[in-house]
Amino acid sequence: MKLEQEQIKKIALSALLLVALLYGYFTYLLDPLQLGEKNATNGMAAILPQISDAKQQIAKAADLETKAPQATAFLTDLKNSIPDGAPIAWFPPKMADFFKDHGIDKCTTHLVSEGPGPMPGFRKLVWSVDVPKVEFTPLGIAISSLENDEPLLTILNVSVDATREDAQYQHATLILSTLVKS
Amino acid sequence: MPLHVNLYHEVQRQERARQRDPLRLSMLGLLVIAIGFVANYFVVLAQAHAVGSQYASLAAQFAALDPKAQAAKARQAELNEEITASDTMVKAVESRFYWAPVLDQILKTVPRTVQLTHVGTDAAGSPGGSSLVSITGISSGPEPRKEAEALRTALEARLSGQFKSVTSVFKNLDDSDQIVMLDGRRLATANFTIDFQLVAKDPAAAATPPPARSARIAAK
Repeated sequence: MKLEQEQIKKIALSALLLVALLYGYFTYLLDPLQLGEKNATNGMAAILPQISDAKQQIAKAADLETKAPQATAFLTDLKNSIPDGAPIAWFPPKMADFFKDHGIDKCTTHLVSEGPGPMPGFRKLVWSVDVPKVEFTPLGIAISSLENDEPLLTILNVSVDATREDAQYQHATLILSTLVKS
Repeated sequence: MPLHVNLYHEVQRQERARQRDPLRLSMLGLLVIAIGFVANYFVVLAQAHAVGSQYASLAAQFAALDPKAQAAKARQAELNEEITASDTMVKAVESRFYWAPVLDQILKTVPRTVQLTHVGTDAAGSPGGSSLVSITGISSGPEPRKEAEALRTALEARLSGQFKSVTSVFKNLDDSDQIVMLDGRRLATANFTIDFQLVAKDPAAAATPPPARSARIAAK
């Protein structure tokens, strides 16, 4: 079949229209859609781990929140055991009462020095406790109780000297440090 | 056979030519392709919309979770700080040097032939450091120096059971002119000072039992 000139022109026009249709479809309709879909897919791939991390973080914090009171109970108890007010006002009477409870009537306590504690919120005070007349055994028992009952207290130095006046008694000096709220 | 004359053949030919018109056929083809494209477009549109909706939902979920996660992170840091502080305090308490067991051992070790006139102690400045115990006294007996040496070795042996390492050394050991009476016998004496270096086994200290015997320290 031989095509006429007019028909060839029409076929060419149709081909042009087809190209225009394909271009318009892919460029202006399909591409934006696919681009949007690709962006959403990439976004999902990025956000899913973030959501997972956030959920894990919340779960970790919740878990820690339940465990923390038990883990920090010791510190809380210690903090609560420290009386309020200036240590110079309460610590020497506390020592006097403590030794009196252990049958040692006389003791004097002096503040020696003051410094920072091992952690924020605490400061370290060094005291000298002088016991002029004490038997060795009650002193040992008192030191044992002091070390066991007062976790914030550390005995740095113990000095026990025999007295010339009475062979039964000794003179003891304790240098101890304690932590107080700053 | 009757003769059939088609008087419309020209009209019919034109009609066939019109039906076979390339432009018309190609327009029909284009229309079919366009309809296919439109259908495909709607399918892709539905897919994109579904993915977009899912993403929007996840983004909203993350937007709601993120502030909570940030708050949880801050709270976790706060709690960790508290736990660390508590642990530090526990370590500080457990690494204390307990003197009562040492005094107890001294009390149990000193024999009747020895009188202590001074007991001095110095705790280690840091965990793992060595603490010092110094005892000064008078030993008596036929050979008072041996009595002092016996006390040193006995006390070192007792303390070795409680500490990682114990070393002892005489700071001085001098014969004395003093004579003491013990069990009706006159005995020679010697003055001594012994230093003990103690290194604790580990930070966890044992409970401190109170001394069980009477005092051995006496006046000179």
